[in-house]
Amino acid sequence: MFGLIVRKELREILGTPRFAATFGVVSLLIVLAFYLGARNYGHARTQHEAAVAENLRQMEGLTDWLQVKPSISLPPQPLASLVSGISNDVGRNVTVMGLGTLRASQSRYNEDPVLAVFRFMDLDFIFRVVLSLFAILFAYDLVSGEKERGTLRLALSNAVPRSTWILGKLSGAVGALTLPLLVPLAIGGLLLVVNRVPMQSGDWLRLGLVVLAGLLYVAANLGVSVMVSALTHRSSTSFLVLLVLWILAVLVLPRSAVLLAARSVAVPTVDEGLSQLGRLRTQLWAEDRQAIDTFLQESMSGEPESPEAAASIVGRFNQFFQQRSEARSQALEAFEARLTEQRANRQMAQERWAFSLARLSPAAAFSIAATGLAGTALDLPRQFIDQARAYQEVFERFQKEKTGGRSSGGIQFAIRVASVDGEAPKEEAVAIDPQELPAFEFRAPSVAAVLHRTAFDLALLMLFNVLFFAGAFVAFLRYDVR
Amino acid sequence: MQLDNASDRDNASELGSVPDLGSVPGPGPATNPEPLLQTIELTKRYEDGVLALDRLSLEVAPGQIYAMLGGNGAGKTTTLNLFLGFIEPTSGEALIDGIATHVDPLRAKERIAYVSENVALYPQFTALQNLDFFVRLGGRKSLDREQLSTALDRVGLQREAHNKRLKGFSKGMRQKCALAIAILKDAPAILLDEPTSGLDPKAGMEFTHLLGELRDEGKAILMSTHDIFRAKQIANRVGIMDRGRLVAERERHELAGEDLEALYVRYMAGPSEEVACLA
Repeated sequence: MFGLIVRKELREILGTPRFAATFGVVSLLIVLAFYLGARNYGHARTQHEAAVAENLRQMEGLTDWLQVKPSISLPPQPLASLVSGISNDVGRNVTVMGLGTLRASQSRYNEDPVLAVFRFMDLDFIFRVVLSLFAILFAYDLVSGEKERGTLRLALSNAVPRSTWILGKLSGAVGALTLPLLVPLAIGGLLLVVNRVPMQSGDWLRLGLVVLAGLLYVAANLGVSVMVSALTHRSSTSFLVLLVLWILAVLVLPRSAVLLAARSVAVPTVDEGLSQLGRLRTQLWAEDRQAIDTFLQESMSGEPESPEAAASIVGRFNQFFQQRSEARSQALEAFEARLTEQRANRQMAQERWAFSLARLSPAAAFSIAATGLAGTALDLPRQFIDQARAYQEVFERFQKEKTGGRSSGGIQFAIRVASVDGEAPKEEAVAIDPQELPAFEFRAPSVAAVLHRTAFDLALLMLFNVLFFAGAFVAFLRYDVR
Repeated sequence: MQLDNASDRDNASELGSVPDLGSVPGPGPATNPEPLLQTIELTKRYEDGVLALDRLSLEVAPGQIYAMLGGNGAGKTTTLNLFLGFIEPTSGEALIDGIATHVDPLRAKERIAYVSENVALYPQFTALQNLDFFVRLGGRKSLDREQLSTALDRVGLQREAHNKRLKGFSKGMRQKCALAIAILKDAPAILLDEPTSGLDPKAGMEFTHLLGELRDEGKAILMSTHDIFRAKQIANRVGIMDRGRLVAERERHELAGEDLEALYVRYMAGPSEEVACLA
């Protein structure tokens, strides 16, 4: 009996011209998303490699590693081309110095703003917007439509338990709307291989989980559609209710959650932090200048008696200046680290608020899961900056090995002692070898780490399914078929 | 149940004769007195307080057709809904082959086939596909395509229509499909809700003829209808319902000398008009 109802439902949905047309469009979108994603990945990879080469080229001719400020860039990730998340909005380049805060700049959309106008239609968009509507379109009249047509009365005039009927219909609808999607998804996977996108086994696994999350989300939409259909007696009412729910879940709730979170947890802006840092820098510099003035007044009350005396004064000045400079830098670094930490903590609190509220919507839960699995979620810039900081330490050690100092990005004083004839001593300048520079390699989080982070949202999607399917089941058991 | 047979019989001379049945097989004598369909003091009051059915008692034995006549809101469809287990009775019971439908609806429904007023089948399925699905749903698993086609032949659906989608079918053609489903389910009892409503005269005659055949095969048939002509033509017993009550009931032989239409109009007019008419 159950199998009979499932087969009927499959045949009823798959046999309609409505399904053929809609499925054709969705399949085309999915295949296009994979194709364009693969092409975009290739393009971004070429750009990244050119940026790395240009970085090395700019070092050619330099003779001092202290003058080197390497620019590292976030390499394109294969899955980011399919689930872009915030990967196109975050800065992809960081200029690394031996000292100082690192900031990413030059996002994809910052470089090519026209791309941000009509954003790339990725798998997240296709599942979250297109396929959720697709599910509603095919399930809004699953119960109320049968009642309107009268087929429900005829079917239930037989010895068919209502539980079997509704479970058969739910299973048939889920099968009819999810299994055919595997075809364009498989074609999409093939396109990645053909276009030589370097997908590792972990990437395939994560892509599989993105698809699983998408199918769970589509099934949740089917569940809620059947539930609403079993709570109403007219398919037009059911469709209207579902449309309102879709707008709330997909468009209103996630945005409202972010706005509410922003109102609840204020995060100081980057400019505010820079302003505070600037004030402290000015204050410390003023103090240093005063100290330098005092030092100079005390040390240089008259003409030095001999070149040795002059050299001694310069030596003491250098030592004094170095100490002040170090102290100032440490104070600024500590202050900036505190500001950065405070801002990051507030941001994370705001993010927790926003996501907790947004997760009331299955659409938001899916997006969070999909971007998390693809490595394009909100933690992408943090991961990049964290790894850039680690590289900064590597680079600092490298600079110290090479020069005994580190580049700070600030002003450097060179005090030269002239010889008797007034000419500076000549030094043999040797060009640095850029190939010696330690390479920056961005490591995407492991599959285990990604799974750990997204497990909650995957479980939430399953919970939505259980709730909606149970709701549909209970509503149908009480449904008035007259 | 309130009947007024004596006064009706007194007015028998005013009533017309039974119309010519033509080729429609007339009802024969019941061979089994045990009712297959039965309501005992069946009452249904809806949540909004409307009394849809008031202590209805009727019986349909195998080989009999019972026609329920009555206007809108008389309680005919409520009676069928109670037999189908779609609603629960407030009191009393509806029995199918002795099984109370509100106690064991699934076992009761194994013994009935149902044909609705506006036959609703799946429009994107062919006649055979619809038949296959609903017959299997009714519990008949082992029917092959030829048996399905034979049933459609029997109800008079042309062969070339068997593999056509139902969305182009007329109401009469859909009605034939529904009757084929009922035939193939081979249930001992059949419920029909306004089966000839909206059918053209030819289709109506064909449908009535098929009902006669089914009755002769021993099916117990309960039909609700507005069609006085068909009811008189085919039914073994006619019950007139008004506002949830069975206000008159006639055996076929009692209708021989009665004008059913006049009787129907009289009862539908209400008690005061009935008294005036009798006076």
